[in-house]
Amino acid sequence: MTWCKKIPASWLLRLVLLLALGGCDVGKQATSTKDSYTVYRHSMDGAPSNLDPARASHIYANFLAVNLYDTLYRYKYLARPYELEPNLAENLPQVSSDGLIYTIRIKTGVHFIDDPVFPQGKGRPVNAQDFVYSIKRHFDPATGAQGAWLWQNRILGLDEWKKNGSDHGQEVTGLRALDYRTIQIQLISPYPQLLHTLTQGFSAIVPREAVEFYGRELAVHPVGSGPYRLASFNTAGAVMVRNTGFRQEPFSLANEGYNPALQSKYGLEHLEGLLPPFMDRIEVEFIAEDAARWNAFIAGELDFIKAPVSQFDQVLQSRDPLMLKPTLADEFHFQASLESGFVHTDFNMDDRRIGYHPDPVQNARNKALRCAISKAFDWEKRNEIFYYGIGQVFPGIIPPLAPEFDPDQDRTAIKRDLNTARHLLRNHGWNAGNLPELEIGFTSSVTERQMFEQFRSFMADIGYPRNKIHPLTFATYGDYAQAFLNREVMLITTGWTMDYPDAENTIQLFYGPNASPGSNTANYNNEEFNRLYRASATMQASPIRTTIYRKMNRIVIEDCATISGISRKLILLWNRDLAMLPDRSFLGGHFFRFAGRGESNEKNKARQ
Amino acid sequence: MRTILQQIIRGLLLILGVTFVSFLLMVWFGPDQTYTLIGKNATADQIAEVHHQLGYDRPFSQRYLDYLGELFTLDLGTSNSSGEQVSSILKRTLPVSLALMLPGFIIGNLLGVVLGMIAAFRKGTWSDRLITGLSVSGMSISFLIIIIALQVLLSTPYGLNLFPVRGWHVEDLSSYLAYVTVPTLSLIMVTLGYNTRFYRAVFVAESSREHILTARAFGASPATLMWRHVLKNSLVPVTTRILFSIPLVVISGSLLIETYFGIPGIGKVSFDAITSGDQPILKAVVGLTAVSFVLVQIVADFIYRLVDPRIA
Repeated sequence: MTWCKKIPASWLLRLVLLLALGGCDVGKQATSTKDSYTVYRHSMDGAPSNLDPARASHIYANFLAVNLYDTLYRYKYLARPYELEPNLAENLPQVSSDGLIYTIRIKTGVHFIDDPVFPQGKGRPVNAQDFVYSIKRHFDPATGAQGAWLWQNRILGLDEWKKNGSDHGQEVTGLRALDYRTIQIQLISPYPQLLHTLTQGFSAIVPREAVEFYGRELAVHPVGSGPYRLASFNTAGAVMVRNTGFRQEPFSLANEGYNPALQSKYGLEHLEGLLPPFMDRIEVEFIAEDAARWNAFIAGELDFIKAPVSQFDQVLQSRDPLMLKPTLADEFHFQASLESGFVHTDFNMDDRRIGYHPDPVQNARNKALRCAISKAFDWEKRNEIFYYGIGQVFPGIIPPLAPEFDPDQDRTAIKRDLNTARHLLRNHGWNAGNLPELEIGFTSSVTERQMFEQFRSFMADIGYPRNKIHPLTFATYGDYAQAFLNREVMLITTGWTMDYPDAENTIQLFYGPNASPGSNTANYNNEEFNRLYRASATMQASPIRTTIYRKMNRIVIEDCATISGISRKLILLWNRDLAMLPDRSFLGGHFFRFAGRGESNEKNKARQ
Repeated sequence: MRTILQQIIRGLLLILGVTFVSFLLMVWFGPDQTYTLIGKNATADQIAEVHHQLGYDRPFSQRYLDYLGELFTLDLGTSNSSGEQVSSILKRTLPVSLALMLPGFIIGNLLGVVLGMIAAFRKGTWSDRLITGLSVSGMSISFLIIIIALQVLLSTPYGLNLFPVRGWHVEDLSSYLAYVTVPTLSLIMVTLGYNTRFYRAVFVAESSREHILTARAFGASPATLMWRHVLKNSLVPVTTRILFSIPLVVISGSLLIETYFGIPGIGKVSFDAITSGDQPILKAVVGLTAVSFVLVQIVADFIYRLVDPRIA
């Protein structure tokens, strides 16, 4: 490096140079010294703290868990809308005619990775009992699991098993290994989302030996049968290396739902017939700070980034159509996709100042107030200022990525209408003097505070006094969650990431019995809605069920229980020398095994 | 012997005081981790279950006594968030923080001493004003701005693009230098101002003492004056500042540096523990910091006697 020699040799700079010289030699080689084998460097905007599948509640943990462990099912890599695909399961399940009994065969010859927990350190074959044990763990208080809600009151005898002391020696009627390879799940009532739950990290298969050997430290010593095994894990990142014993299943574009019209530009054809996982090593960097993540990506230290909103100006050439700046388009692939969830602000219906009231007159006044606030909310401005104007605003609680979303639905609910809002207030006797004090809850951050101020300015336009709208701030999300789960927050802004591609997952957010501390943070309780929810809960996906979902959506809109919502657009960028299609929603971390590179293809061919 | 005993008793009282106050703050004002550990759609029973597992329903006195027992036996338990043994976390992160912070700490202090000395010796001249002015400027710039500016300048294609933007894949000396250089420069830039101002004030005070005037009258050269008389006689405050910074450097690490440079040290772990309310980690960090201060105090006392026989 010539610049090193040009620096004046004053004593101070010499000292700095002493350090810099080392950097001159190796600084940028740090990520290329591994060129002898293939590496994919992924970035995440948050960090998992725990890799135990039973505690993989965050998208970040789930991304890693599904690579370190096996799930019975996953989604097809390329098919959109998402389609289920057997993973460790041999096929899709056999389902009894009443929809209550699922029989699933798992593949043969699948082994856990070698680990000291096994005799002679050799990974043993995965069997049906491992799956049974892994689900039961969620109902064992010792696990501290976070996924029990997926199967609670669903599987015959499982809740009773927990009540009886979670003895792993005791069988559960509805969750059994019929033989070495066959799993049988018996449901209390039909559960159309069951297979979706078996794609998630929560359902990943853990060997009992590992749980007993490592105890709580299983969280940092994963022992699974997934495509990768963990090499290192800390607060800054995780490194996973290829599981050399992973089952050999050639990659098939047709089977993964390849759509040449939309996906041919990603170079995936070269991967046809090769054996996943294609990369020898996956390095995942946890970088919450936007500037640091972007700098690392631009400097070539990362292969993938979800571009931070703060960088959209530098990334996008135009918003409609969404186009990348030419300089970036030469170097990177790009995909704009909607998040699989939405952001919404719920009214706490349990709060008599704004929600349900035993006095019918006041109840009607409160509803008018909620509707007036919703009408005064300017989604266009919210989107423009905080989401770069590229988020998708939609009415109600079925987000655009849900298969049941209605693109032609009436959008009146999300159009700002100040006259109607003012009329509603006036007609129901609300004025600046008697309007209640509003408390808006949020975690302490600059952006959240800005959003609050924007909300206050929206309300000022209908005559809501600014001094009657207060921030209710919390230092951490945990504190905030504690407050709204205890029904102490009047207006609750939260985001919900869908767990599976079925609108049931967002509709249940307003089901009465799910009220706080459940996921119905609005504490909404509408009898007709509840009845429809119960009716649809056991129905398989069908046009009739979709009609019911949409009806429930309209009920929530008409009751003005929430100001909703927006699905943010994610701008994903990745290096052009990669052959892959990343995913941040339902497929999630499963795509890692299909991430390929030019040189990896050659190596992969050689291996076969 | 009596002095050592007195110091140990004082140290134990200090540890008790620090741990008690910290634990009180953790319990009363720290986040309730229950709500970050429960899953979606948790029932009241499940919330109570997690609350119980975290030990929040036990009496304060019992929890505090357990804490003291953990510190005494060095059995620090497991992190509520990750499930990893706290001792493993410390073993993994402390050396990283030490390797990260030490060069900046040493160079920052050495440069501070040298610049402070130059400024003190040339008090009132343009070089003093320049050093003081630069020090104040350095103190005024946000640490975050310095970090981001140096990252952009030295590590990205927008600048010289010489060093890794972030990470800590240290395998040998050259990779260590590659990863530590920019964080070290950031640390030096942010601490140099404070160090220089402090050392200048110490040296100026020492320079105005009678024995310096006497030495000057005897015709001592400026170098002899500064190194032999001023620096030597200032060693007590200099030692105090350096020694008492060590526990903070070693144990607290530097959150911003570790976060922005993606370095898996104790600073980030401590910060995450504070924001999430992971009490086992917090208790360990607080306890170890208190113990380190006591040890440093004992070492400092010993060094004082070495550098200034009047204290003995």
